[in-house]
Amino acid sequence: MTRNYWLALLLTFVLGSALTVIYVKHESRILFSELRTVQKQQDQAVIQWSRLQLQNSTLATHSNIEMQARKTLEMRLPDTVQLVQLP
Amino acid sequence: MKRATETQAIFFTGRHYLVLFMLLGFLLALIGRAFYLQIVEKEFLADQGVQRQIRTIETPAYRGAILDRFGSPLAISTPVDSVWVNPSEILANLAALKTVTKKLDLDYSATVSHLKEKADKEFVYLKRQLKPEIAASVADGVGGVYLQREYNRYYPAGEVVSHLVGFTDIDDQGQEGLELVYEGWLEAQPGSRRVIRNRKGAVVEELAQVKPSHSGKDVYTSIDMRLQYIAYRSLARAIQYHGAKSGSAVLLDARNGEVLAMVNQPSYNPNQRKTMSASQQRNRALTDVFEPGSAIKPFTLAAAIDRGNYHRKSLVDTAPGWFMVSGYPVKDVRNYGKLDLASILRKSSNVGASRIALSMEPAELWQSLSDYGFGEPTGVSFPAESAGYFRHHSQWQPLDHASMGFGYGLSVTITQLARAYAVIANQGRELEISLVKKQPEEIEQNQIARHVMKSSTAEMIIAMMEEVVGPKGTAAEAAIIGYRVAGKTGTAKKSVAGGYDEDDYVSVFAGIAPASNPRLVMAVMIDEPSQNGYYGGTVAAPVFREVMSNALRILDIAPDDLSTLQAHLSPKGKGV
Repeated sequence: MTRNYWLALLLTFVLGSALTVIYVKHESRILFSELRTVQKQQDQAVIQWSRLQLQNSTLATHSNIEMQARKTLEMRLPDTVQLVQLP
Repeated sequence: MKRATETQAIFFTGRHYLVLFMLLGFLLALIGRAFYLQIVEKEFLADQGVQRQIRTIETPAYRGAILDRFGSPLAISTPVDSVWVNPSEILANLAALKTVTKKLDLDYSATVSHLKEKADKEFVYLKRQLKPEIAASVADGVGGVYLQREYNRYYPAGEVVSHLVGFTDIDDQGQEGLELVYEGWLEAQPGSRRVIRNRKGAVVEELAQVKPSHSGKDVYTSIDMRLQYIAYRSLARAIQYHGAKSGSAVLLDARNGEVLAMVNQPSYNPNQRKTMSASQQRNRALTDVFEPGSAIKPFTLAAAIDRGNYHRKSLVDTAPGWFMVSGYPVKDVRNYGKLDLASILRKSSNVGASRIALSMEPAELWQSLSDYGFGEPTGVSFPAESAGYFRHHSQWQPLDHASMGFGYGLSVTITQLARAYAVIANQGRELEISLVKKQPEEIEQNQIARHVMKSSTAEMIIAMMEEVVGPKGTAAEAAIIGYRVAGKTGTAKKSVAGGYDEDDYVSVFAGIAPASNPRLVMAVMIDEPSQNGYYGGTVAAPVFREVMSNALRILDIAPDDLSTLQAHLSPKGKGV
């Protein structure tokens, strides 16, 4: 009689563990696909970041800034005569 | 009834056995099949399964960036995708191939015949290095068309800093410049992992990481792009104006030896490498040597002052303006008579400098000049850096000894010259030059570095060199309003086989600013100026002034010569 109880108990454990395996496997698949999505997003972000950095450095070339400052904004360095010394 | 049952039973028994027999037959067939699949063909089938489901895919890693001292990129890797196909797969789906070739701007029939040629291969590139979103739109949902992630190297600063940064080859390996020096640091190591893919090719599970991926680390150079650009522009302008062959300029931080700008002409754009030639590629500031001429005189004087042979008020007799050394004349422009040390520098007297050099033993002069860094590599670790040409004193002829005093008989790179001037600016302490940003502890070490020149001597030399830049000196064009500048010009005839060329010159200027508390050192060299003058004071000094005045302003270094600045200020400004 006790033997049957043990058997039933072990059977429950085996079943429980089998179901847990299924559940965990499923969970891990879901998490893995989430990971993939996030990795893809990261990849995209890296691509965009490097492109923006490039764009930034292309637009902010010193020759470009100088040209814009001199031509478009008509900026220039003040002559020494135009300087005012503050005490 | 009983009989009927019997016959029925017999009949039934026959069917019973038939069924039993058939079931047994099926069972045996199944066992046989299972045996065949599980035992006989097991390896082949397992292999096929792995081949269909399990893939080892590459984990991309990107090469580190090269940055200026404030982090703006000088070389940077951006991801691109290359489109590849498995010929046998795609040739089975010609309609798809047609749309793909159309999107990629490829010739359809040529592609088909190309793929048919390579039908036994499994990997053929259709087009390399596309923008990721274009590549994605091509490969999306088309079976047999795949993407491979690659990295493309861009050099946003282009020709302004190309000599220093260098470049990589198509496989992302450093070939020149810092890309080569720091290859181990910058290099990316793509990893790989084993994954299970489903029927559509999407990854559903990761089995193992075969090799972890390592992206390269960034390198912070010591370059200040603002100053680099100004130096590049000024040098290029001067080279053009004077019709010169080439030129270099180096700007150093006098306090820690960091290279803030290093420019050369001619230059090249590393983003368009098809047209570049070897002569454009050289980082002349580190590889090309020249005889420094008069620019070495401050060091002849320093060596003699350090040894007590001369002092501030010493007079040197240069009359009659020339003397003979082993049959060769050492000449001045005219007879200057008796000169003090400052006047020797200001008038750049060869006779004076030569007499001072001869007052020392060859070994003494050699030792001092070596200590200042002539004939020694600067320590920047750069491919093909030259240590210059400076013979050991045991090999000197009397003429070498005399001419060494005014900069003939030895060759230097412009970086060596800048470094030697930085020794003067650094109160006579030797200085480690660096192309990468120094760590605070390295800078501290500089403060306790060995004195190769007494600090009193260094001070005296700076004061004398200020007169060179003064109104009566040879480099009045190097003067900057509001700042005290110390410097020395050099105009050297170019040595050719068997003597010196009478028409070709090297124009040099090296200077220190502000003289009262040196912060910056700059040396400019212009090779073979052919028009609008050739003296160091008229060719190289203006480049120094333009770059140095901007550098002082950009780095927010306070003027140390308020009296001349005030003389130039607006009347309104004076009273305030």
